[in-house]
Amino acid sequence: MSLTHKLSAALDSGIDQIGQLRILQNPLRLHHLDDEDLDSLEVHTDPQDAREIGLYTPEGEYRFTKGELSLKRGWIFHLNSVDELRQTIDLFYPASLGLWDAWKGGNIRVQNLRDKLGRQSGMYRHARNVSDQGAQELVQSLCGPANKCVKKILWKIDEQIPLADSEASRFNGIVGDADESKAIPMVCQEACNFFVAEARKKSKAEFEAKDA
Amino acid sequence: MNFTPKPNSALLIVGHGSTENPDSSTPYFDHAAEIRKRKLFAEVHCCFWKEEPSMREALYMIDAEEVYVVPDFISEGYFTQDVIPRELELSGPTTQVHGKTIHYCDPVGIHPSMTSLILQRTAEVAPGVPQEESTLFIVGHGTGLNKNSTKAIKDQVELIKTLPECHFADVVDTYMEEPPFIADWAKLSSTPNVVVVPFFIADGLHSYQDIPMMLGFEKEEGLAASQKDVFRNNPYSLQDKTLYYSAAIGTEPMMADVILDQISTFDELHVSHA
Repeated sequence: MSLTHKLSAALDSGIDQIGQLRILQNPLRLHHLDDEDLDSLEVHTDPQDAREIGLYTPEGEYRFTKGELSLKRGWIFHLNSVDELRQTIDLFYPASLGLWDAWKGGNIRVQNLRDKLGRQSGMYRHARNVSDQGAQELVQSLCGPANKCVKKILWKIDEQIPLADSEASRFNGIVGDADESKAIPMVCQEACNFFVAEARKKSKAEFEAKDA
Repeated sequence: MNFTPKPNSALLIVGHGSTENPDSSTPYFDHAAEIRKRKLFAEVHCCFWKEEPSMREALYMIDAEEVYVVPDFISEGYFTQDVIPRELELSGPTTQVHGKTIHYCDPVGIHPSMTSLILQRTAEVAPGVPQEESTLFIVGHGTGLNKNSTKAIKDQVELIKTLPECHFADVVDTYMEEPPFIADWAKLSSTPNVVVVPFFIADGLHSYQDIPMMLGFEKEEGLAASQKDVFRNNPYSLQDKTLYYSAAIGTEPMMADVILDQISTFDELHVSHA
């Protein structure tokens, strides 16, 4: 079954939310969770517009981490098909539907942090030297809704070391208090590039602190 | 090249992306949108090294069992030879990965059809300017670290010179960080007109600011790089010559055709669909 069919089945089962997006049916529409007066919203019909809308925060900052809780409001997509809805969601939240489906089906290939950091090269290769403790601190200071990320973390530090218990490690990938049967959770199968960049800084600080 | 539609295959365009410059990934999405519009593939997606979706996430987006991966990169090098194969778990031109057949094409920048794109771009940026009285500079980054990064440009320059529709007095490969330096453009040209085409996929700091500074019509201070109107103020009168400056070659919408050409070339070399 294609992802479009799976999304269609999810909508039929009553799912109407992913990340900061609300999905409406009959007719098919998509808007920001926090927008209520739908008549006041700017109408879009081309799924490609989603990338432009998701590019900057309301304050004009570049949102290169797409799971960030900073999606701008004020727009609504009127869509012709579930396939268009899939394209639109994939531009707001890249690969989110495929990752959700793989996770749900037990087919996801999670990349633990040490695997991810070990694959970095160039200036980011030093990120791999961050301590386990340093990495745990980064999870708590960068991930989860308190730090504006909407994704449920699936990875561990390595196969033997799970993430320490925290709001970030417990977060279920669903914004607000929606029932789990009504929302598609956003899942994080590998640390993002922002995390890698911060791990590099942390590793450098740890090295300098040891030297001091 | 004529492209045979692949209604059961997916196209995955791989780009570098940036955590700092939002313009950096725009061309990849434009190329994907253009190819999607032509309905040649079941699906068209992008993935990145520095943006989302990552290469490791990308396969989850794809339903099709056969996937053509095209690096939207300007040259062979570290990313196309090390990073992309490693991240997508590829071991050769065609690899079975997690139940999918992945065809790994060459990067767009080394395809011979880039030459016509470059000439088309020069006609757009310097309309009516006689080629016989003009020098064409193609500018790459250049780095002592990887010879392949300059090879793509040298090859394109040699190819352009052989084209019957090319009447430029000279076509010269130049670089930001190794000789021949683009900063020496006035010494390297003997014609009254000069056309400069940055051989990059996306417009960014290099094409907005660094190269214009090396050419002599932009200063470091002032507007943010992306707000500078460097491509729309042609021509520039500098050092007794008239200079026409183009946006990065990868921003050309026809790059979509080069991506398709690279897939056709891959099929000719590696895939028999008899």
